[in-house]
Amino acid sequence: MTTETARRVVVADDDADIRALVAISAARAGYDVVASVEDGDRAWGAIQEFHPDLAILDVAMPGLTGLDVCRLARADATLVSLRILLLSAAVDEAARAAGREAGASDYLPKPFSPRALVAWLKQESGVDA
Amino acid sequence: MGFISVDHPTPALKQLPTAVAFACALLLILVVPGIEVTDDFTAVLGIALMVVATVLAALFTRMPKYEHLVLLVPVIDMLAVGAFRAGTGAALSLFSAILILPVVWIAAERGRKHILIAIAGTSIALYAPYFFGLVPEVEISGIVRGIFTPLIFGLAAAIVNELSRQSQVQLEAIRRLADDKEVILQRTVEFANQLQESEAQIRSGDRLFRNVWAAVTEQSVIGTDVTGLIDAWNPGAVQLLKLDGSEVENKRYVFDFHVPAELNDRSRELNYPPGETVLNPGFSALVESARLGQAESREWTYVLDDGTTIPVLLSVTKRVDDDGETSGYLFVATDVTQSREVARLKDEFVGLISHELRTPLSSILGYLELLRDDEDNPLSVEQKQYLGVAERNAHRLLRLVGDLLFTAQVESGKFPLDAHDTELDRIVSAAVESARPIAASAGITIIQELPDTTPVVHGDAIRLGQACDNLISNAVKFTPRGGTVTVSLSAENEHAVIRVRDTGIGIAASELDQLSSRFFRATTATRNAVPGVGLGLTITKAIVTAHHGDLGVESEEGVGTCFSVTIPLVAQTSAVR
Repeated sequence: MTTETARRVVVADDDADIRALVAISAARAGYDVVASVEDGDRAWGAIQEFHPDLAILDVAMPGLTGLDVCRLARADATLVSLRILLLSAAVDEAARAAGREAGASDYLPKPFSPRALVAWLKQESGVDA
Repeated sequence: MGFISVDHPTPALKQLPTAVAFACALLLILVVPGIEVTDDFTAVLGIALMVVATVLAALFTRMPKYEHLVLLVPVIDMLAVGAFRAGTGAALSLFSAILILPVVWIAAERGRKHILIAIAGTSIALYAPYFFGLVPEVEISGIVRGIFTPLIFGLAAAIVNELSRQSQVQLEAIRRLADDKEVILQRTVEFANQLQESEAQIRSGDRLFRNVWAAVTEQSVIGTDVTGLIDAWNPGAVQLLKLDGSEVENKRYVFDFHVPAELNDRSRELNYPPGETVLNPGFSALVESARLGQAESREWTYVLDDGTTIPVLLSVTKRVDDDGETSGYLFVATDVTQSREVARLKDEFVGLISHELRTPLSSILGYLELLRDDEDNPLSVEQKQYLGVAERNAHRLLRLVGDLLFTAQVESGKFPLDAHDTELDRIVSAAVESARPIAASAGITIIQELPDTTPVVHGDAIRLGQACDNLISNAVKFTPRGGTVTVSLSAENEHAVIRVRDTGIGIAASELDQLSSRFFRATTATRNAVPGVGLGLTITKAIVTAHHGDLGVESEEGVGTCFSVTIPLVAQTSAVR
């Protein structure tokens, strides 16, 4: 796996351990974690800065929420190819629908299995590759 | 003087004048020389008859039931006077005049026949000397006297009879009038009593109303006329809106205390174009449902004169007059500031649990999985076993958090149900299959009984599955090794029925109705140290209720328990399995 082909990802979660867990899973799936941040504002900054292939965002974060960042990104014409995976502890259908409406590509409820996340990430890069 | 009634003279009283006159006659004979008995037998017979008549009169007085025979007394009197007259000088006797007394008695009786009886009696009395053979020769004057005197007496009798009849008629009329008067008086008294009673009722109703009106301090009650002009303002309104009745009654309108924007929005919703067809669209919007006679409770915002706003739950009803016409409206408002705050805190708490407890559990489970999947540093069998314990407990904690979250959602009424037509046999089978491994390791047999057709209900497959899982895992948990859990599904009376029957430790009858209370644990559960927190049945009950179903239970301690879930069927496919 070379840096030219590695897909780039921005990870945002206010919980450092979850952030690390997501980053480890992304690395295992062959992604390049270009930024790992603890709030929505920083996540939006990193997305604008790095134009990553994928953003994995926690929904409930201080400042901008994952949904807010999602909406901002979808309103930005330079980010049309950005894929977004939302992570959330809310499990009901309403939360899932809110994520879809904000423009998320997929939605992963917490607690998630790193194994399942790796599989999702591999499939995602395979589809796009 | 109870025994002498002039209104209804007794036979004894009527006899008295005759008896007294007769006694006077006897006295005259004894005292006055020249007045003497001429024939002993008839004189004595006369006295004897008079005694009999007087005794009879006394008897009839004592025994009123023989009163119909009372005319015997004057008749015997006449015979007595006739005999006595015959014995005291016959036609020359002084005592013929006594005859008038019994004649008057008889004549005073009701009915004209008594005149004839009196005449006949008089004739017999006057002819008595001839009967007794005391007059040797029949004299013309004697015969004439026997006719003439009875005629005069008959005339007198007729006059007495008529007077008596008239006075009786008058008496009866007076009595009737008196009776009528009494009835009227009684009616008046009754009416007065009724009036008094109604007045007391009205007064007590009024008092009750005043007391209730004053006692309602937590609700603002405002009364208005049909235009919204306030005419009643209870203590609750004083407390809520910080104004006295005197400041608002007949001075201000109820919509002065509403947020104009809210009234406008509502009137637009109801299609009242402002200023066109409806004079006051805001007020019309406020009373729309009440005007149509429908009770409506809706959240509005009251605004105080100082600009403070208060969220209220407002019920509007119409007031009607005696003809049933709308005469105004009543606005009963409850301040919901506090209950809104409580609901907000509850939601916040639920969110907090959801986030703050699930996040660390996500880390624990995620990192445990990383450890297990680390291909560079494979774990020993023993280490994997320890990891398994940690994972199992983390999952248990996660389930508990999920259950708590769910019960909180049920309580706040925010229990999301993703309902579709759902085939129950798949759900039951899946629940049975997922319980098999645990049942097998506990030495318990699970028997599944499914119907030939597929019962379909309108429901949330995940929640219904959760309900089945709860019941089956409970059954397994409470059944000793070697026991059986039977899970059956059937369609009965347009309902699908899921039964989970075990051969377990059972539940005491006294505890059956507490089963679905939160955190309740049966004595048999704690005694047998069966683990659990007491949320499973609360959740199951909530799920079943949300599906318009019933959760039933039958149990016998030491024999087993049977839970049944009954949910209305949507349809039943006729396809045979």
